[in-house]
Amino acid sequence: MYSILRCFTCLALFLSSFIEAFAKSAAPSFSRDIRPILSGNCFKCHGPDPEAREAEFRLDRRQSAIDADVIVPGNPAESWILDMVSSDDPDMRMPPQGDPLSEEEIDKLRAWIENGAEYQAHWAYQKPDLAEQPNVRRRSWPTSELDYFVLDRMEEAKLKPESKAKSAVLLRRLYLDLIGIPPTVEDVTAFEDDPSPKKFEAHVDRLLRSPGFGEKWAASWLDLARYADSNGYQHDDMRTMWPYRDWVINALNDGMPFDQFSIEQLAGDLLPNPTKSQLIATGFNRNVPTNFSGGTKVPEVRANILHDRVSTTGAVWLGLTLECAQCHDHKFDDISQKEYYQLYAFYNKSIQEVDQDGDGMFRKLFTGREVTVYPSDAVRQLAQQLKHDIAVEEEIIAELDEFPKGDTPEAVSEKVVLLDFEGSDPLKSSSSTRPTINSLADNVPIGGGNFAVSVRAEPVLETKGFFGAGFSFPTTDLSGITEITFWIKTDIRSEFNFQVQKNWDRRVSIFGFSNFHLEPETWTKIVAPLAEFTVPQWSIGPVDWTSVQKIQITAYGEESYDGKYIMVDNVVGATSSEQALREKRVAQLRVQLTEMQSSTMVMQDAMEPTQTHIMMRGDYTAPGDSVGTGVLESLHPLDPELPPNRLGLAQWLVDPENPLTPRVVVNRIWAEIFGRGIVTTPEDFGMQGELPTHPELLDWLAISFVENNWSIKELIKTIVLSSTYQQSSSASAVKIMKDPQNNYYSRGPRFRLSAELIRDSLLAISGLLSDKVGGPIVYPVQPDGIWKEIFGPVDETDYPTSSGEDLYRRGIYTVWRRGNPYPSMVNFDTPDRNVCTVKRDRSNTPLQALTLLNDPVYVEMAERFAKVIEGWDGSDQDKIVRSFRTVVSRQPSRRELNILMQLLEQQQSWFAVAQTLLNLDETITKS
Amino acid sequence: MMDYEKGINLIKRRDFLKQGTLGIGSIALSHLLEQDLSASGIEHPVLQHPARAKNVIFLHMVGGPSQMDTFDPKPALDKWDGSPLPEELTKGQKFAFVTPQARVIKSPYSFEPRGESGIVMSELFSHLATVADELTVIRSMKTNEINHGSGELFFHTGHGRLGRPSFGAWASYGLGTENKDLPAYVVLKDGGPVAGTSVWSSGFLSSRHQGVEFRKGQTPIHFLNTPDQTSKEERRLVVDAINGLNGQAFRHYQDPEIETRISQYELAYRMQTSVPDLVDIDSEPEHVLKQYGLRNAEGGKTRNDFARSCLLARRLVEKGVRFIQVFAKGWDHHADIYTDLPRSVGRVDQACAGLISDLKQRGLLDETLVIWGGEFGRTPMVQEHNAGTGDLTEPGRDHHKECFTIWMAGGGVKRGLTYGTTDEFGFGIVENEVHVHDFHATCLHLLGIDHEKLTFRHQGRDYRLTDVHGHVVHDIIA
Repeated sequence: MYSILRCFTCLALFLSSFIEAFAKSAAPSFSRDIRPILSGNCFKCHGPDPEAREAEFRLDRRQSAIDADVIVPGNPAESWILDMVSSDDPDMRMPPQGDPLSEEEIDKLRAWIENGAEYQAHWAYQKPDLAEQPNVRRRSWPTSELDYFVLDRMEEAKLKPESKAKSAVLLRRLYLDLIGIPPTVEDVTAFEDDPSPKKFEAHVDRLLRSPGFGEKWAASWLDLARYADSNGYQHDDMRTMWPYRDWVINALNDGMPFDQFSIEQLAGDLLPNPTKSQLIATGFNRNVPTNFSGGTKVPEVRANILHDRVSTTGAVWLGLTLECAQCHDHKFDDISQKEYYQLYAFYNKSIQEVDQDGDGMFRKLFTGREVTVYPSDAVRQLAQQLKHDIAVEEEIIAELDEFPKGDTPEAVSEKVVLLDFEGSDPLKSSSSTRPTINSLADNVPIGGGNFAVSVRAEPVLETKGFFGAGFSFPTTDLSGITEITFWIKTDIRSEFNFQVQKNWDRRVSIFGFSNFHLEPETWTKIVAPLAEFTVPQWSIGPVDWTSVQKIQITAYGEESYDGKYIMVDNVVGATSSEQALREKRVAQLRVQLTEMQSSTMVMQDAMEPTQTHIMMRGDYTAPGDSVGTGVLESLHPLDPELPPNRLGLAQWLVDPENPLTPRVVVNRIWAEIFGRGIVTTPEDFGMQGELPTHPELLDWLAISFVENNWSIKELIKTIVLSSTYQQSSSASAVKIMKDPQNNYYSRGPRFRLSAELIRDSLLAISGLLSDKVGGPIVYPVQPDGIWKEIFGPVDETDYPTSSGEDLYRRGIYTVWRRGNPYPSMVNFDTPDRNVCTVKRDRSNTPLQALTLLNDPVYVEMAERFAKVIEGWDGSDQDKIVRSFRTVVSRQPSRRELNILMQLLEQQQSWFAVAQTLLNLDETITKS
Repeated sequence: MMDYEKGINLIKRRDFLKQGTLGIGSIALSHLLEQDLSASGIEHPVLQHPARAKNVIFLHMVGGPSQMDTFDPKPALDKWDGSPLPEELTKGQKFAFVTPQARVIKSPYSFEPRGESGIVMSELFSHLATVADELTVIRSMKTNEINHGSGELFFHTGHGRLGRPSFGAWASYGLGTENKDLPAYVVLKDGGPVAGTSVWSSGFLSSRHQGVEFRKGQTPIHFLNTPDQTSKEERRLVVDAINGLNGQAFRHYQDPEIETRISQYELAYRMQTSVPDLVDIDSEPEHVLKQYGLRNAEGGKTRNDFARSCLLARRLVEKGVRFIQVFAKGWDHHADIYTDLPRSVGRVDQACAGLISDLKQRGLLDETLVIWGGEFGRTPMVQEHNAGTGDLTEPGRDHHKECFTIWMAGGGVKRGLTYGTTDEFGFGIVENEVHVHDFHATCLHLLGIDHEKLTFRHQGRDYRLTDVHGHVVHDIIA
């Protein structure tokens, strides 16, 4: 009677899961009913934390409560706790702060004590248990084992499952869940027409093999891994972590078992002979935001990084909030501060990863391990070829070192023509120190070029001093050459300087010669070995040989020159030694190679790790007792055979004995498909978390997951083949009233797509989507000037908008800058990835409408979609039907068709139709 | 049988009560049922006591103003000028760039009591002096962080690392919006905090509580403007078609989210005209523009983004926007307190005074809490080398977390009060410390919220803006 009454009230008013659960039976269960009361109201002062404990008894330990007469099993009247919580005296009443317990809660406590006040260990710390298949009435409905558990609860709540979704709707749902983009109209009609009973499963298998699978499922993992492309905080410099993102996509596509997936990310570097891929996987822990700002202290930055790693590990694998134990023993869960720092000790073995950048205090830099990566396989192959070429050259150079040859034959020498005056206007490049007339010379030397330039002073240079002729040419790298040769003819008898420099640069090198012993007024070839160039006193340093732009020939003397012209012909830089030539080539190859490569951060442990101390009050400057590595005592034991490092930690986490990890993982995957977890607080499986709505289902999924070799694809396949998944998501208003959150899964899942999937779907619909998988981050169009607002390095204030195909890549490849993330995705609730995010928000705001209506990126999609529609055969109505099916797969109703036909009539514009379709709730929703 | 609309409300409300664990689960349900569904979800105020302030305008001087050159005169520095501070003072203290032995530098500015209350300000604030009697100056602020990124985060989220909701987001979460056509939390900036958007993040709260930046120029909100090729008429027809089709989908799925989306498309459509009107400050009368310093004596336009933000903030308050966060750039005076600091004051002085008197004239000051301050203060010691290059610079001051000055006005704070005392060097607090957590607790209190009850359950823990700290500073409340 009591339960029926409660049930009514619940349905009419609060449908919250735990009250529902309570309604199931009158005798309160400790886990379901009592612990939430004690944990929420009492444990803070009468719980695990000895520092905070009042009155020296614990309510989280039965014996302690009994010893203190707080609880007398079977005897509510003698149990102090009831007096305390129901006292009218506000000074006496417990809890001392906050609202008093409700009547209902007190009743539950009383009933529980009456029934013997039995304690149960927290459900999530017990190993999953395989429940018997429930007896259900509607026996024809289940197709999968899991359906029995769902149906059982539904029948208890007097709910009926919805019928199976229509083929088109179901196929679209499956595509969105498995690969994140909708099916084409052809896919849908083929599916509708396919008579095979196995057609759905065939599609499941096909989609699970599609590269889109990894691209879709990686996003939520990247939220957990707080993957981003910048450091965060002040400066917010960019970093190269996309190889880690690609690793996640590939691992998911390859069907890597989740235990291995975990081990490689947590400890790939500690595996025997780790592959580069396994090293890149450890980027998981290098993704932490890092504060590079000036005044931060290096140990402080390190402590923050390590705290983040501990709490992320806790959230991702254990579904526990470890952070609380940073400063004191956990107030609700059995996690001591010591245990926290034992976990911290695993990470504190790593080498130093951040240091000051030089003596100044302004910047920091990463000092951790990095590995070289390439933007694509093609480039990698190219780089390998380059490396090979470099090795070959270096081997020859080494031989030459050992057995030097004499002068090199012409064949291997290399020449760089600086000036042959065959360019557009040779005279434009020339200048001089006095008024001159510059012209093409009327003769050229034999063996020189076709043209020569004459610089002639008028009148005759009777005075002493300098007379120079300068010639400019495009910037040229002369770093590898051994000599410069040029032709000169002059009527001046003097000392000369041959000078090289960059325009407007005061760094100059010179080569001196005179023509006293040469025949005047005839062409002479001068050879200037680079080794003989000197730096004149008036220069501030030697020329930068990699960028020479100008030569000048200057006569200088104490005497009058008695001459008036200097003619110059071919100026050529030459490499005449084989060794120099090869060294130059090696240098060039190395530059090319560097441009192809970047490096990404990975983990490495120190040979002699730092001793870990408990930090008093969480303060890194206040070390307490020293601790070694260790795990949480309340969970399964750590195999003593395991190495005391991250590898051991990883293996402990994915030990099949771990009661948490498999549950936590299947719950998240379930939540990604159904919109909510079986535990609705996927980030907290601890005492403060919600209880599972379907504990037997959760355990069944967790056990099957581990039995199926931790296969994520198998798990997803099991779920999508179930009747539960395949229900229609439409329901009566009454049913939605009764179960607004679909707690009972008595209809199919229906919720808005993530930011990335909205982008991906609309790109796919409009035919713009690039199918390129992986590679460096891309920069789709965003509003101007946003990056200028970041206080960071000057070279990273310009947003380098991508071009071509990269404008239309899937959202997962979009640059993720923590300090200023991509705005249109932010409007659809992408987190800033500053911390591990277990559950994304799903808001519904006007900014979303503005984004889809006005963001030039989405406007372009609508324009393109309009063109596509226009190009189809058939009547306007045919086109509208097909375009409608392109966005939401199903057939439009007559009314829907009318609305679109009317719009087309009024606007005479397919753009208006396309834009309407891309903005539909159903288009951005999985239904 | 309940009607559908109420059903939605129930769901939202239920989520909130359960999620929020505000200890207000017992609030009469009938009262909740009367509320309308609004754009931002929770519109039910979680007032624990009568609110003194309805709105907040938070003027953040990015970089950290120097207290001893603005509102906390230290004549003793004249004596100590050129010598290091006593060692016992600097021992164990964290500094960003200077060494503990760095020399003291006196303030180059003179100070005078202003108004009837005699609040002391440096000569730089000639305009603010005219509204001195409206202010409560707190000289005894204290923070935990000495760097900009973490200092800004601490000042706004109560936590020096990334990931927590900001003050404005908590206010939006706790109080909802008063204007269904505008966000509850708007951010205006002329330069901006170095920690970027994280400073107005909603953290683990729903993303609808994050600050929405109103930008300078033609597009105050990203994607507000209709594409060039679309006429106003076409936009109306397209929105009608979208909503017509969404209405059909609702009939089929009965999903309340579809109804919400319909209303959001309507709202978006209205915002396309209401927001540009709102940010069009040139429509203000001449004398108002002059008051903020946006027109010079001859009526010519002057360019001052901060002044524009202040005037816009007032317009937003009039429209019922709950929380307006304004950032003013250029207060990180490592190098040069002689010319740079007066320039920074010059950019904000008249606009601050104009804002306060304008709010007052319109009767809005009583219900609007105006806050002025930076993420920390500055050292009495001089910094004269560029921290990065080591080059010699003009004398400046380094970051300092042990004490700094802010002021507040309106919104239930006392008028003409100077609160808290620092030591003779302006280095540490002697009396009435107001930690950032206390500051947050006090501001929430003025908004009618008990800072210990405004909680959100995240990862099994009930988080607060004030974490496990914070005391309301009743002394400054009128």
